[in-house]
Formats: sequence, structure tokens, C-alpha cells
Amino acid sequence: MGPVTGKQLNGPTELRSRLPRPGIVSFALLVVIMAVWELAGRAGMMNPFFFSWPSAIGIEAWKMLLNGELATNLGVTGYAYLAGVGAACILGAMLGLAMGWWRYFGDVLDPYVVFFSAMPRIALFPIILMIFGIGDFSRILIVFLGVFFPVLFNAYMGAKQTPQVLIDVARVFGYSHNRLFIAVILPAALPYLIAGFRIGVTLGMIMVVVAEFFGASSGLGQKIAETAQLYETPELYAWVFYTSLLALLLVWGADYFERWAMRWA
Amino acid sequence: MTDNSLVLRGIHKWFSTAQGPLAVLDDIGFSQYPGEIVTIVGASGSGKTTLLRIIAGLERPDSGEISLNGKAITGPGPERAMIFQQFGLMPWLSVRNNILFGLANTRLSDVDRAARVADAIKRVGLEGFEDFHPKALSGGMQQRVGIARALAVGPDLLLCDEPFASVDAMTRQIMQTDLLNIVTEQNATVLLVTHDIEEALFLGDRVLVFSSRPARLIEEIEVDLEKPRLHEVRTSAKFQELRGKVWDLLQANS
Repeated sequence: MGPVTGKQLNGPTELRSRLPRPGIVSFALLVVIMAVWELAGRAGMMNPFFFSWPSAIGIEAWKMLLNGELATNLGVTGYAYLAGVGAACILGAMLGLAMGWWRYFGDVLDPYVVFFSAMPRIALFPIILMIFGIGDFSRILIVFLGVFFPVLFNAYMGAKQTPQVLIDVARVFGYSHNRLFIAVILPAALPYLIAGFRIGVTLGMIMVVVAEFFGASSGLGQKIAETAQLYETPELYAWVFYTSLLALLLVWGADYFERWAMRWA
Repeated sequence: MTDNSLVLRGIHKWFSTAQGPLAVLDDIGFSQYPGEIVTIVGASGSGKTTLLRIIAGLERPDSGEISLNGKAITGPGPERAMIFQQFGLMPWLSVRNNILFGLANTRLSDVDRAARVADAIKRVGLEGFEDFHPKALSGGMQQRVGIARALAVGPDLLLCDEPFASVDAMTRQIMQTDLLNIVTEQNATVLLVTHDIEEALFLGDRVLVFSSRPARLIEEIEVDLEKPRLHEVRTSAKFQELRGKVWDLLQANS
């Protein structure tokens, strides 16, 4: 985490300097894998019921993009995702920081946080469906529950670990209880908060897709489940591809946000 | 007694432990004149830091009276500033904003604050580093920020808790000389706690020797070394004699 003081050496520089850049090799490897996969598929070496290959998947992916099917389902998934993850990040951060700040309050709720953090919260989904039925609210709620606890836990830890000396400094220089929270606890907890958000971003994606398997009439997860049941294998792989692409973009976004928010570190 | 800057009388402090109450401070009393530099020397963990925290208003004594310029101390106040052993810089703030952090609760205008920050940065020799974050600075430079933050407030009393214990030996000696010059220039009243006998003698007009566990004031030593003190004073016969005296006192009371 410290400042970069020199070039890091990963072995004999002599050898490393003669090799091509790792990114180039990564890309070349991808091309090779795709080519082998494609050839194996066309040569009939894979059962088309269960597997597909790049060109077939690409055609379906392209069709979905053109006929608006992708946009429609992306919208459904994106709505539940953003609503659930957004609410969980805001409320989880607030409650977690409050628990770290008011130690007594934190100590009271601590066992509940530990319990719900450990619990596979997707197990609650059948109960949620039973009570609220299949619909946006049920999916938003399960995404919320999935993301809320890790965000809360990180915010709680972040507020609790604030170095005592920083709190002392603020008190010596006349900061009131409330101003101390804004000026010290919140920024000191920021690295933990962001780590929590990062977990939330990926976990939220898992939650929304799984929720759509069972409790949706559209959305990326619902499409994956539906095409699998109908053995529309190239479409199935295309939906998995788009879901993965979305997750990748979200992780990149989270990386970018982290670097921006932590530019002082 | 009105010209006394700091007055302590009968300060007691106990910590509660699993083995029952532990006396940390035992009947501490002394006073300090404005512009005087008093150093407290004692073994590590002897309760010196607790005393400093009490004077800063971060902790309350179990009994005793404590006042600054005739006003009883009941909590932190803008007439006292403190320098911490672990620097206590906010890692997310630049050098400039760390110093501004100490001024946030004063009634100064933004212009006055900026002027104070610029002045403090100049005094500690950190010009050109205003926009650096603490991580990019050495330990010595970080403590310079800590000193600047405290000085910018313009306190009547500057409390220093082992300020140079976390920097390397050479930097420590340089910073001791620099601190002495800065506080002398500002005619600041300084109370500094250390376990380093040389530091206590080099910086102090008067050295208070504390016993350990519980901390008790065992001797006051006037340091009649010429001022301004140059680095060379450390090798003088007088300095070595005082050093031996403090050493013997600490040995006999540890």
C-alpha cells in the first residue's frame, strides 16, 4: 500500500525484459482458446444439447442486442440490482457506522450482525416469495438482504478501528462529539466502507441472478433459467455471457470508484 | 500566584484493573511560569503520559486541582495544544489541511487561518510540502506537521507527549534543536514528557524527575545551561554531570 519507490522485480530482469508484455500474451491466449473451442464445436466434438461455441453464441448475442431483448431484460435486472444494492449500501453504511460510534448500541446488535452475516441469506428467498409473491419487491428485498450485512459489517469494523490517537487529536483541538464523527470517524472508516461496497457489488449480482431463477418473468437470471429448460443452448450461453460482462463492468466501476475515493492512500 | 501559567495540586489517578485499583499518579503538584520549558522525565509506562492527558483535558484526575492562568481545567480547550508521539495526522488530509484541522474550531476568518497555516509551515520548514499527504513524508516530517498544527492555534501551553520517540536517532537530535528554536522564538510555554534523559535536559529550563508506578515527583532540577542552546552543549561537563544526576535518581526510584 506504500508509495511506489522502485520497479518491482518478479524474477531475473534479463529474462523478463525479453518476454512480451503480459497483456499481449493474455489476449493471444484468449484467441487460442476461442479458436480451439470453435473448431471443436464445428467438428462435432461437443454435444450441442449441453454446449455451444463462440460463433453460435455470438450470433444469438448479436440478435438479442438488435431486437431489444437484451435491453429489456437488462433493465429488469438492473432495476432490482440498483434498488437493492443502493439501499443496502446506504442503510448498511449508516447503521454500521452508528454501531461503531455508539459502542453500547454496537455491542447490543453485534450478535445479530454475526448471525445474519454467517447465514446464507438466499435461504430466506422462499419465505420472501411466500409472503410477497413473485415480483420486483421480493427480488429487491433478497438483493438488499444479501448486500446489507457485509456492507454493515465492514462499516462497523471501520468505525471501530479508528485509531484512538486521531480521536484524541480531534478532542484536543475542540471537536464536539458530532463533528468528530464527520471529521474523523467517517473518513477513517472509508477504506473499510469501500471494501464493503466492493463485496456488495459482486454479491448483489449473484443475488439478483439467483432470485430471477425462481421469482421473475424476465431479467437476465430468468432468461438463463428459461433457455436452459428449453435447451436453447446458444441463447443460454449468450445470456451467461452478457451477465458476466455486466458483472465485469460493475467490478471495473467499483475499482475506479475505489481509486478515486482513496487517492490519498 | 497569578503569573503562574500552569498550577497542579495533589493530582491522583488510579486505573481499575482485574487485580484491583492501580495507582498511576501519586500526589503530583508543580507549577510552571509563562514562557518556561518544563520537561518531565521518567521510565516508560510510569504515568507521565496520563498526566499530560489530564492537563490536555482528555482524562480527569481522581482528585486534585489543576488550573491554567487561574482557570480550572475540566476538558480540552483552545488555550492548550498537544503534540503526540504517534503524530496523529489524518492520513486523508494534506499537510495544509492537517494544520487547518487544528484551526477548524477557532473563530478566525478563512484569511487568518490560511495566514496562520502558511506561517506555521514556514516555522517548521515544510514549505513546498503543503499538498503532500502524510504517507509521502518521513516520520520526522510528519512530526513537523504535528508541531505546526499545534503552534498554529497559538496556545498558552504546548503539551508534548514523547514527541520524538517515533523518529530515528539523528532526526531526533535535529528536531530537538529545531523545536527549541521554534518555541523560544514564539516564547511558548512548553510541558514535554520524555523517557530520554538527554532530551529532557537539552530542552528543559527545569526537569521534573518522576518515579515509576505510581508516578511521584521525586526531584526538580534547574537546568542552568546557557541559552540559546547549541548542539555542542550535549558534550559539556555540566550537561554530563546533570545527566549522571538524573540517571542516578531514576535508578534509585524505579
